[in-house]
Amino acid sequence: MMDRILDLAQNRYFRLFMVALVVLSLQTTLFSDMRPFGVCLQVMLLLAASAGLARGSETGAIGGFMVGLMYDMVLTTPLGVGAAVFAAVGYLAGYVHSFVHEPNWWSKMVLSAGASATGMVLMPVALTVVGTEGVLTVNVIGIAFVVAVFNALFSLPFERVCRWALSEPKTVR
Amino acid sequence: MAGSTFTRRRIILLLALTTVMLVTMDLRGSGAVNGIRSLFGTVFRPVESVTRVVVRPVENAWNGITNYSDVLEENQRLKDLVAYGEGAKIGAIASVREAQELLALNGLPTLAGINSCSAQVVGESPSNYAQTVEINRGSECGIKVGMPVLNAAGLIGKVTDVYNGRAVVMLITDPSYSLAVKVVNTPPTTTTVPGAPGVTVDTTTTTTSTTTTTIPRTTTTGIPGFVPGATLAPTVTTNPSQVTSPNATVQLPTGTGDINKPGEANQSEITVPPGADLPLRETGALEGRGISKAPVVRFIENQPRFGEVNLGSPVVSAGGASSLAPPDIVIGTVSRVIKRSGSLGPLLEVKISANLDALNFVRVMLYQPSTEKVNAP
Repeated sequence: MMDRILDLAQNRYFRLFMVALVVLSLQTTLFSDMRPFGVCLQVMLLLAASAGLARGSETGAIGGFMVGLMYDMVLTTPLGVGAAVFAAVGYLAGYVHSFVHEPNWWSKMVLSAGASATGMVLMPVALTVVGTEGVLTVNVIGIAFVVAVFNALFSLPFERVCRWALSEPKTVR
Repeated sequence: MAGSTFTRRRIILLLALTTVMLVTMDLRGSGAVNGIRSLFGTVFRPVESVTRVVVRPVENAWNGITNYSDVLEENQRLKDLVAYGEGAKIGAIASVREAQELLALNGLPTLAGINSCSAQVVGESPSNYAQTVEINRGSECGIKVGMPVLNAAGLIGKVTDVYNGRAVVMLITDPSYSLAVKVVNTPPTTTTVPGAPGVTVDTTTTTTSTTTTTIPRTTTTGIPGFVPGATLAPTVTTNPSQVTSPNATVQLPTGTGDINKPGEANQSEITVPPGADLPLRETGALEGRGISKAPVVRFIENQPRFGEVNLGSPVVSAGGASSLAPPDIVIGTVSRVIKRSGSLGPLLEVKISANLDALNFVRVMLYQPSTEKVNAP
């Protein structure tokens, strides 16, 4: 029994789930109340982008999908829309990051901002595709810009957390 | 490399299929999806509650920094409003009581007869695209999906998700929100001075010796106790030779009796039926348009009797057997009228009476339309 719990705790996606649970609680409390320039900051999106930056496109896609699915659970939007968008963001962040020759702190910030902005544009597009009206407006540009700037500022600690959460289990001697 | 590409493609395909399956199941109202959401809520709510307590000082500091001057201004404004509202409140309570008594006497349903559940708003939507709030009462209070939610100012939305101890309320501004409403259009009024030497009215004549006098929707105001529609209209007796063209003006006879008091203007030959000057009502559909735009009312017909919609006309819920809200809940007032060509009626922008940015205590009306009530065996 204990071995199973330890095995579960060593699973990197379980660790990401636990981290995402805490980040989601911050998203629904602190960040839904603090709205700089009237925009709700999207730290769950940042977590998805950071998963891609930390461990590459495939892990980023799966991690992003998981994070997005958790976010969908607390929203009234159709289940799966956020998951698809966040998976695309995680994949995109990891994929573009693989082309950076020598990644440094500012390149990660720029990629995080770009992936976040893309996600904020993709989200209303996806919602429109599944039949939600009135979300694809000009306001999306402003929202994407503000979210991108703030996600760039927070990207380094999030990338470090994701690097830890998504690390492969070490062999115990 | 080829293996890696294959794995990557397989992952993308798997995620895409899962997404399509989940979206389809959710849009078709699958019970499994609701069950998963409920289960996740059970796991997540304790974490959220702890986080809410931990981050409250940070939130307070943020609100103190960003909203301090607004709060001061609002406090001043609210003090003025309270002083202004105190006087109006007494008269309003009396009017509401009278209206409820009248409705009860006539066997009509009133809002006072519907049970409600008070709750507090505990969280806003974390999304930029959905306008929802979370309240701290749920199924234990009898709340069900679809029930209307009000605050002191009027309707704010409807319940979309219910759990034990919490519920999600979709605000009236959400693009998915829709409700049957009534627009109460007050007819234009003309002020006349009682006892003035003459009152002018529009007249039309026929080529025969008969003269028809048309009284427009004219209300004589300024008389205490005067009820529009319950009085006899002034009579105009004209000689065909005196009126030669349409829209000519004639001098009304100035009698000794007050023409606006029933029984005292007994020279009248034309009687305006009671209720002719009552506010006219037209039903339409209220639709939310997102947080940055005012909701609109569609499907208002271009009826001559209804006439031009006046700015400031009240918008209330229409009720009905299938409507999720009972009739006569205040929603707001018409703030803009967008005219459309052809048979399309005007589009009315509505200024919501409730302030959706500062929701605190709300009331969930435990109302279900008659079509959804389950009869006891």
